[in-house]
Amino acid sequence: MKRIPTVAARELSSLFVSPVAYVVLTLYALLAGFFFLLGVVSFVETLRQAQAFQAFDFLQQMNLNDTLITPFFGSMSVVLIFVIPGITMGLFSSEKANGTDELLLTSPLTVWDIVLGKYLAAAAFVLILGALLGFFPAMLFRYGDPELAKTLAGLLGIVLTGLAYAAVGCFASSVTRSQIIAFILAFVILLLLLIMGAVAELGAMGNAGWLEGFLGYLSVGEHFENLAAGLVDTADLSYFFVVIAVSLLLSKAAVESVRWR
Amino acid sequence: MIEARGLSKRYGDFVAVEDVSFQVGGGEVVGFLGPNGAGKTTTMRMLTGFMPPTDGTALIAHHDIFAEAQAARRSVGYLPETPPLYPEMDVDGYLRYVVTIQDVPRSQRRAAVDRAVERCGLGEVRRRLIGALSKGYRQRVGLAGAIVHGPPVLILDEPTVGLDPIQIQEIRALIKELATTGRDHAVILSTHILAEVEAICGRVILIHQGQKVEDAPLAELTAGGRKLEEIFAHATARDVVAPGEATARAEGSA
Repeated sequence: MKRIPTVAARELSSLFVSPVAYVVLTLYALLAGFFFLLGVVSFVETLRQAQAFQAFDFLQQMNLNDTLITPFFGSMSVVLIFVIPGITMGLFSSEKANGTDELLLTSPLTVWDIVLGKYLAAAAFVLILGALLGFFPAMLFRYGDPELAKTLAGLLGIVLTGLAYAAVGCFASSVTRSQIIAFILAFVILLLLLIMGAVAELGAMGNAGWLEGFLGYLSVGEHFENLAAGLVDTADLSYFFVVIAVSLLLSKAAVESVRWR
Repeated sequence: MIEARGLSKRYGDFVAVEDVSFQVGGGEVVGFLGPNGAGKTTTMRMLTGFMPPTDGTALIAHHDIFAEAQAARRSVGYLPETPPLYPEMDVDGYLRYVVTIQDVPRSQRRAAVDRAVERCGLGEVRRRLIGALSKGYRQRVGLAGAIVHGPPVLILDEPTVGLDPIQIQEIRALIKELATTGRDHAVILSTHILAEVEAICGRVILIHQGQKVEDAPLAELTAGGRKLEEIFAHATARDVVAPGEATARAEGSA
């Protein structure tokens, strides 16, 4: 267990030596800036029109959280399904391609040391992304008065979504020696997790059975939306925990299978 | 130091290694010979704990590779055929990482890295990125990584492949020196270069089709002017049909 930070530190430093980390951070920041600006412009425009039409009821309901911050976090959570696989694709596959898996697996490190060390590195990166994202709504506090708790709940949703995606990416990387395959695999799994909600809704148009409920539960979107709307519920928190735990268990099994093949 | 007890590795019907047993004592350098695909790398991987044997077990410095896996792995320095290097790290950082994951106590890490750097002649390239090094230097970094934690057992898979003649001399001298100082290291090295065996090994183990076909001191084998080439050619000329294969064939024809 004490060796986990060693593995994590090496992984993180090698992320920042390669261009991947910088490319991902830059693109994510650019996209965040774009979506945020779009949000602010449309907020101002809606406000202006509502005033022109003297729609006082509407104006009363309008607030920065529901009209700007929550949709902004929603867009950025979708962007994560492109970004996180880019960070996690090399975690295990590059070790296999370099032959360094022989170093790790013949050292006193346990498989859990390796898996958790690598996941910790990816998780640290997710926190950096979260901090980067937090900067945008933070600006709004300078000029307006959004709800702090609601904003933080949304940010928590983004970070948890990122952590869950990173665990899925970790697993995708553990089953192949090709970084590209690891990326595509992670992307497809995440896409499925994301559209599961839509599938469930389509199915539920008739009558909502247990399958629809189950698919809906599997979908990231539903749980993220609750958090983004400011509802911090243990059911949603446990969902992210379950996704992380299952993915890491599968990663461990995949890494170990090299030993047992 | 190393004791293989009936090591076998099978993949379904395919037998990679069948019932290989041998012992290597401290101060010995054993040459592991055999044609390509004979099972040398598989045997080495089983000894290092990279993959478990299907049958049999091994003791590394008196630690069973199953029962005391971590202690056994800690006692082995392993240089795989492709040195396990991170191209984006510098030599010093790599070796510091290796001593850390190999459980060298914090207070001894610095000295362990310095000693490995000195022994493998890496002083000038310490701060260079591994990815920018020549093949010879990379091989030496790999060797430094294998010895940096001072393991009593060294397992080297073709340690001199791809090196120039001078580098080969240096690596051989280093391996010989490691084994003879204090007579506390046991070394197994696989190679295709028979001259290398004659230069540094005291004993030869010959593997052919997954089975041990020869295990004798070099002096004994080459007594009476016999050449190692002849012994190698003779031992690998006939087919050794492993029991598993025989049944598989019988089933196939039935």
